Amino acid sequence: MNVAADIEARELSYAEAIREAMDVALASDERVILMGEDIGVYGGAFQVTGDLIDTYGPDRVIDTPISELGGAGVAVGAALTGLRPIFEFQFSDFATLAMEQIVNQAAKVRYMLGGAVSVPVVMRFPAGSGTGAAAQHSQSLEAWFAHVPGLKVVQPSTPHDAKGLLLAALEDPDPVMIFEHKLLYKMRGAVPEGHYTVPIGKAEIRREGVDVSIVATSIMVHKVLEAAEMLAGEGIEAEVIDLRTVRPLDRETVLASVRKTSRLVCVYEAVKTLGIGAEISAMVAESDAFDYLDAPIVRLGGAECPIPYNPELEKAAVPQVEDIIEAVRAQVKGRL
Amino acid sequence: MPKVDMDMTSGRIVSWHVAEGAEVTAGDPLFDIETDKAAMEVESPASGVLQHVRAAEGDDVTIGQPVGWIYAEDEDVGAVPDASRPEEGQATPSRPSEEVPRPRSPEETQKIRATPRARKLAREAGVALGDIEGSALRGRVQHADVAGVLDRVRADPVSGSLPVIRSGGDEGVPLVLIHGFASDASSWAGLLRFLPKDVPIYRMELPAHGKSPARPASSFQDLVRLVRQAFDLLDLKAAHLVGHSLGGALALALADTRPRQVSRLTLLSPAGLGPEINGKTIAGITRAKRAESLAPWLKTLVATPEIITDNYVQAAWSQRGAPGLRDAQRDLAAALFPDGTQSFDLRAALDRITVPARIIWGREDRIIPWRHALGAPGAVSLNLFERTGHLSHIERAEEVAVLIGQ
Repeated sequence: MNVAADIEARELSYAEAIREAMDVALASDERVILMGEDIGVYGGAFQVTGDLIDTYGPDRVIDTPISELGGAGVAVGAALTGLRPIFEFQFSDFATLAMEQIVNQAAKVRYMLGGAVSVPVVMRFPAGSGTGAAAQHSQSLEAWFAHVPGLKVVQPSTPHDAKGLLLAALEDPDPVMIFEHKLLYKMRGAVPEGHYTVPIGKAEIRREGVDVSIVATSIMVHKVLEAAEMLAGEGIEAEVIDLRTVRPLDRETVLASVRKTSRLVCVYEAVKTLGIGAEISAMVAESDAFDYLDAPIVRLGGAECPIPYNPELEKAAVPQVEDIIEAVRAQVKGRL
Repeated sequence: MPKVDMDMTSGRIVSWHVAEGAEVTAGDPLFDIETDKAAMEVESPASGVLQHVRAAEGDDVTIGQPVGWIYAEDEDVGAVPDASRPEEGQATPSRPSEEVPRPRSPEETQKIRATPRARKLAREAGVALGDIEGSALRGRVQHADVAGVLDRVRADPVSGSLPVIRSGGDEGVPLVLIHGFASDASSWAGLLRFLPKDVPIYRMELPAHGKSPARPASSFQDLVRLVRQAFDLLDLKAAHLVGHSLGGALALALADTRPRQVSRLTLLSPAGLGPEINGKTIAGITRAKRAESLAPWLKTLVATPEIITDNYVQAAWSQRGAPGLRDAQRDLAAALFPDGTQSFDLRAALDRITVPARIIWGREDRIIPWRHALGAPGAVSLNLFERTGHLSHIERAEEVAVLIGQ
């Protein structure tokens, strides 16, 4: 991002930033097409594609039938022919129906054909809880995809990164999965005009601190930043790392921070067990940063249950600001 | 730890004669020990440099266990040698058959709980984790626990330098503050509020005070030597010394021997400018065994007794509760102020001072008479405060801070 772009930055919502990224890409690269259920005339389940069909027409903003497997398969095939499809799932939960195309085809074709082809497909997944959409429409499945070599997985937490990571994904020769938290769609933030990218595989330090490194993803970045401000009032200075990319992980940023603070807390909305926090923790424990740890590592993740419909239980099923404050306080004060 | 009598299983180190890092000659006294029955001096078994002292004064040590290592002059001093393996050529106990290591109890073999960072620091500093009390859950040793032990080792009762607390910023001539008898570095807190925030401030703490309550100091010369050593370690190009009472005398003595590093001098009710001193208050404070018996003596320090509140007395009392402090101060007082008289005279040193110097005194000082200031040479500024006692830096904190800043 250059200085001129910075000056021109204005505020957009997260959804608008994604739409603008797609607009920029559609306008500048005729290989780019949008695919997905109800993304055309209806504008998308969360109105992210909006009125792009009016500008680019139904040949490039394509409504697909109610079959995730079919739609994803066509998108993967289109990518193999040289197009740059952006495929939208209505809810990330429905990606379970398309796993064959994503895991067995998109992620492996380049490898199985000895590098003769690549699959430059971008898939967008509205994810996460908090909308009262219950167990089948509220999950955070990013770790499933991050477990598959051949896929890249990103989780933008700001409008700026939502646009920049989508444009970076389009430049990537391999399949990139973008997990967008549904509660972030209305969040506003500065977004530069025109084309820019946010590098895939690079975390961002959102707040510097010396007492604890908190690695967070997606919406949890904002909860952690809120908790960090409260903790600062108690004299605990947290360093907040927005992971941004789940695969490949930004090893260096995390390890350098842990070497500095000697404490690690991972906060993510997905179910805690066998999740991103486990990977980050193990990565630290296996590295030279291990020698710098001065307290047990803490993971805060989702409860071991489907996301409940009851609004209070839905809240209780994922980490909240208070949980983060309490966990960090206990860790820093040697009570763990 | 040598076996010096038949029934001895361990000995307590009473005192070291040689400081860590100092040279020692074979046959010289190395340390004193005490057993159930006797106390005796242990001679150095070799000549060289004493290193890795692992038994502090007061520690009980099993016979045969190393208490320190003597290195030859040119020998490389590495990490602490493995203590479980007796060095060859070490003085053998008289009945070696009894010294076979006994089986370890479950407590001894239990793994120590410590964080990786604490282990790393302990490893690098060569200290044993087992000796360190952990402050985290289940007694886990954290980095801060090891660092705390290392800090105490650095302020070692035998060889270490005096504790110096640094605060303030990085701009301007540093202030070095030396407290008075029976006080400590915290007594400057009121004054600090009014001193400029950007100036570096170093608060020294004397032996038998503050962080080294039981550390003995036997004479004024002893104190001067330690203060000078601590000052030299700060490696300051220029410093403004501020001393109160005994600390004033020490500041003056320091300025006398470090004229190039001391650029200014402020003395608050300094000792050393005349023979009189209130021996009753000194005796009363050092003797007090309860807050109630301390309070009346504290009130003699100030012109307005109301400022010595119950809270102040409690705080002062809690600082005097450290083990060994009362005995150490009583001994020091006996050396410095025998029979209510100041045993050291720095009037000649004050005459030699060429840097700007200022004396500040309360006209109602009942500990050291302010008239001692009248013997100062004409170039020394004199500020006398009405309705002020011995603690002008507390009673007149803001005005004293302004004078220091001028």
